[in-house]
Amino acid sequence: MTEQAIASARAGQADAPQGCARLYTLVLLVADRQGAIDRVVNVLRRRRANMRTLVVSPSEEAGMARVTVVVDDAEVGAEHLCEQLRKIVDVRQVLCFPAGQAIERELALVKVNCTAANRSEIIELGQHFGAQAIDLAPETLTLQVTGKGEQVERLLERLQPYGIRELARSGCLAIARDE
Amino acid sequence: MTTTATVTQESGDARRASMSVTDEARELAGSHILCEALVREGVELLYGYPGGAIMPFYDALPAYPQLHHVLVRHEQAAAHAADGYARATGKVGVCVATSGPGATNLVTGLATAYMDSTPVVAITGQVGRPFIGRDAFQETDVLGLTLPITKHNFLVKRVEELADVVHEAFQLARSGRPGPVLIDVPKDVQFAKTLYRPAASVRSIELYRAMRVPQPEPEAIQQAARLIAQARRPVIMSGHGVILSNAYAELRALAEKTNIPVITTLLGLSAFPVDHPLFLGMPGMHGPAFVNRAIGVTDLIIGVGLRFDDRVTGKVSEFAPKAQIIHIDIDPSELNKVKPAAVPILADAKTALAALVEAVEPGDHHEWLRELRQWEAEEQERSRRLRRPVPYPTPTDILDAIYEVTDGEATVVSDVGQHQMWTARFYKWTHPNSHITSGGLGTMGFALPAAMGVKMGRPEATVWVVAGDGGIQMNIQELATIRDEGVEIKVAIMNNGYLGMVRQWQEFFHQRNYSETPISSPDYVKLAEAYGLTGMRVERREDVRDAVRKAMQTPGTVIIDFAIEAEANVYPMVPPGAAITDMIIEHE
Repeated sequence: MTEQAIASARAGQADAPQGCARLYTLVLLVADRQGAIDRVVNVLRRRRANMRTLVVSPSEEAGMARVTVVVDDAEVGAEHLCEQLRKIVDVRQVLCFPAGQAIERELALVKVNCTAANRSEIIELGQHFGAQAIDLAPETLTLQVTGKGEQVERLLERLQPYGIRELARSGCLAIARDE
Repeated sequence: MTTTATVTQESGDARRASMSVTDEARELAGSHILCEALVREGVELLYGYPGGAIMPFYDALPAYPQLHHVLVRHEQAAAHAADGYARATGKVGVCVATSGPGATNLVTGLATAYMDSTPVVAITGQVGRPFIGRDAFQETDVLGLTLPITKHNFLVKRVEELADVVHEAFQLARSGRPGPVLIDVPKDVQFAKTLYRPAASVRSIELYRAMRVPQPEPEAIQQAARLIAQARRPVIMSGHGVILSNAYAELRALAEKTNIPVITTLLGLSAFPVDHPLFLGMPGMHGPAFVNRAIGVTDLIIGVGLRFDDRVTGKVSEFAPKAQIIHIDIDPSELNKVKPAAVPILADAKTALAALVEAVEPGDHHEWLRELRQWEAEEQERSRRLRRPVPYPTPTDILDAIYEVTDGEATVVSDVGQHQMWTARFYKWTHPNSHITSGGLGTMGFALPAAMGVKMGRPEATVWVVAGDGGIQMNIQELATIRDEGVEIKVAIMNNGYLGMVRQWQEFFHQRNYSETPISSPDYVKLAEAYGLTGMRVERREDVRDAVRKAMQTPGTVIIDFAIEAEANVYPMVPPGAAITDMIIEHE
């Protein structure tokens, strides 16, 4: 499908054609006030954006929260979504990055089954991915890994055979690249 | 009981004497601060209904005779009345309700105002702060409920911020693309006292994006002017934004300078006089076929303050397939939302139109206009051929009579359904902003309470309600409010014994399966009398004009129950989801 066709098919609230959905990372600066996050999430729901991850945390400025949200949507949908988000009174800034354009990192804590026999093997595997063992128990081992989403995914794939008991992922955090 | 009442009265009077709005800093309760802030915002009218959580406010209210409170009979009507007042005056309408059911009853009215971009401030009482989140009696999450149907909403957690919140709410409601704003005030915040400093109470608000009024980019205006100069079959499509920004003169100047014909959306009606040689009509689902045909062939749409709603566009991919679009809107999220614009202009309609009038060269489109008038004449000729002699009043009889008897001076408030489309199509709109209706949400029950707001906002105007027998029963209780307030409204009910528009859809698309659309009515003459008003019933065509005339001569509110044809349809009609050039027309 051509860009033009995607644009006109996706314009407004029409359903996105199959296969044209892309990942976007939206970075919002939101006043840390009553209901502000509700409003952001509500607009995402109302405008039918599919949220992959959502992170809310303090920003560099007191009283302003930084919201990082990864959505999959076609281009026109993402632009329209940003305009809707900008209308929220509590929202000061909305940046929209196609996946990979900003500096993006994620943190994951993985609790893996282990035995005395394979413990060091798992730790070594983790080290390949820059992961650290942060907790050791007789039957489990907890790894902490930070990196791009794909990197985290790859480690998880490799840990799967040992048995992942628990997984906590932070969701994507992003910051704009300076020229 | 009597004694208590007398005492209350006296204490009320005593307080009234002692209270006046001054600029002196003094300690006041939240309830009084709320009233002070409303007075400072220039509020004169409030529509509301008391209840437990808003009682402190109602206790303070008598001390502010500047604030005329209208006791409605249902909170939904308070929101519609505030909306009607806002639409008629351009000022912010205010409604008040208590927590829980009071607040939930406002929801339909706020959603109506939100969809049609009208400035309303709603004040709701909330249970006291210690009870919030504990499922207290009459507690509901009003903030959560109204989140998607307000421009913004506030829960006031400290009495110190109350005045600021009120002023922010008013600014937000009326700025940019207007809309409703809700303020939820816990009962204990209304009781709490603080030092109120009127002069300091307009917080130096960091300018919200929503409040900024964007200026049209000169380059975009030049580009638009170039497209206008090149266009061979251009049309102007004018929406509610033209009315909201009071841009009638600019719209007319642009049309007249360029000789480009004007199409107005449902909410754009009355922004451009129907009898003007450049006026075409309403587009979309129930627009005349020749208007939709014009959109089918036009090469340029100059869209001003409209959002290309689905009732206007029909099937989007087949809407105006040959046209480039210049789209002027104050809300950036509307640009490129439905139809990509060749020239998007982010600006207030008035400013952008004024700039465009300056930038364009005088134009001549007499060939195009001749063609359009030809199509129109063919369509009208066809309708004339189809006209049968009928004994009962027809919608056009009623609308013509209202127009003629009022010398075209009336403001007409319509409800939602077939009569709304007939009114939009056949009334001869000549005065700016004389047409008021619920367009976006399509709220049945809107007209009667909204008309009350319209009339109270424009006391000099003649206000007619045109409603169906379904919608009028949805807020009929407001006849009591109307009577109490001595508001003079004339009501025409187009009574066909059906929920007519739904019945029409059943006829066209559900094989005449009239499921739950026949509806009975009370005896409106007796009903009017029961409310202390005047009622009439008209069953014969020849009596229409006399009845309308008599209604105008009778003081107070008058209801006329017109028995119209049971199965009259609104023609033409674009089936839902079809292209607008693919219309159902009346059978020969």
